[in-house]
Amino acid sequence: MMQMGADGVFVGSGIFKSGNPAERAKAIVKATTFYNDPDVLAQVSRGLGEAMVGINVTDLPAPHRLAERGW
Amino acid sequence: MLPLGILALQGDFREHGYTLDAIGVESRQVRTISDLESVAGLIIPGGESTVIAKLARAYDLLEPIREKIANGFPAFGTCAGLILLADEILDGIEGQESFGGLDVSVRRNAFGNQLDSFEAELDFVGIPGEPVKAAFIRAPIVERVGSDVEVLSALPDGRIVAVQNEHVLGLSFHPEVTGETRIHQHFVSMVKRSN
Repeated sequence: MMQMGADGVFVGSGIFKSGNPAERAKAIVKATTFYNDPDVLAQVSRGLGEAMVGINVTDLPAPHRLAERGW
Repeated sequence: MLPLGILALQGDFREHGYTLDAIGVESRQVRTISDLESVAGLIIPGGESTVIAKLARAYDLLEPIREKIANGFPAFGTCAGLILLADEILDGIEGQESFGGLDVSVRRNAFGNQLDSFEAELDFVGIPGEPVKAAFIRAPIVERVGSDVEVLSALPDGRIVAVQNEHVLGLSFHPEVTGETRIHQHFVSMVKRSN
């Protein structure tokens, strides 16, 4: 996102629903600052525990699907 | 002259780069000590002053930048950059750190929240001709000015929005988002004079 010209990156559940939120948050902040430094990116991408597991849309009951309920 | 540095931890560092491009001045984004050692002066952009200070602390840049500025290294801050160059911050968060270098007191968010942002045309000491086009975005204000600090611009009601001493320049507003290049040019001459 930063390489494409974004001013910043917002991450919510990707941090809080991951295996180690504190380490993942630190890594994302550092990766955002050093987005053009492959060494830093490789370094901060290691040892972060499990990433957030998404929910398959077909597993969501219809009333919980944002596209249908509107908000 | 070495390239001009732009502190690129957070904020509108790209816009400062575009402004320097427009006046033909080479720049380099600064994120590490070695970046810092390869530039002739440092621009501290707009953004969020607490975030920039925390990242500078986390990436071991806070003390080196503070020390360099204290020893005469030229620095230019806009908005959050002004806050970070102030010796005293008013309405900061608890324990908020700054690089310092300007003997001024600066109040954060002095005009209110984001919706109170505005643009203005300003008279500016040393910049004749057209008024300076200034964007005030959740801007700070200078409330106290030390004896070695010169006031370069104020709003019609007298509130101070631009100050400098021998080697440090600070603005409440953003010239880098309005196409205004003359203040960057002024900083370039400060840097040339100090080298």
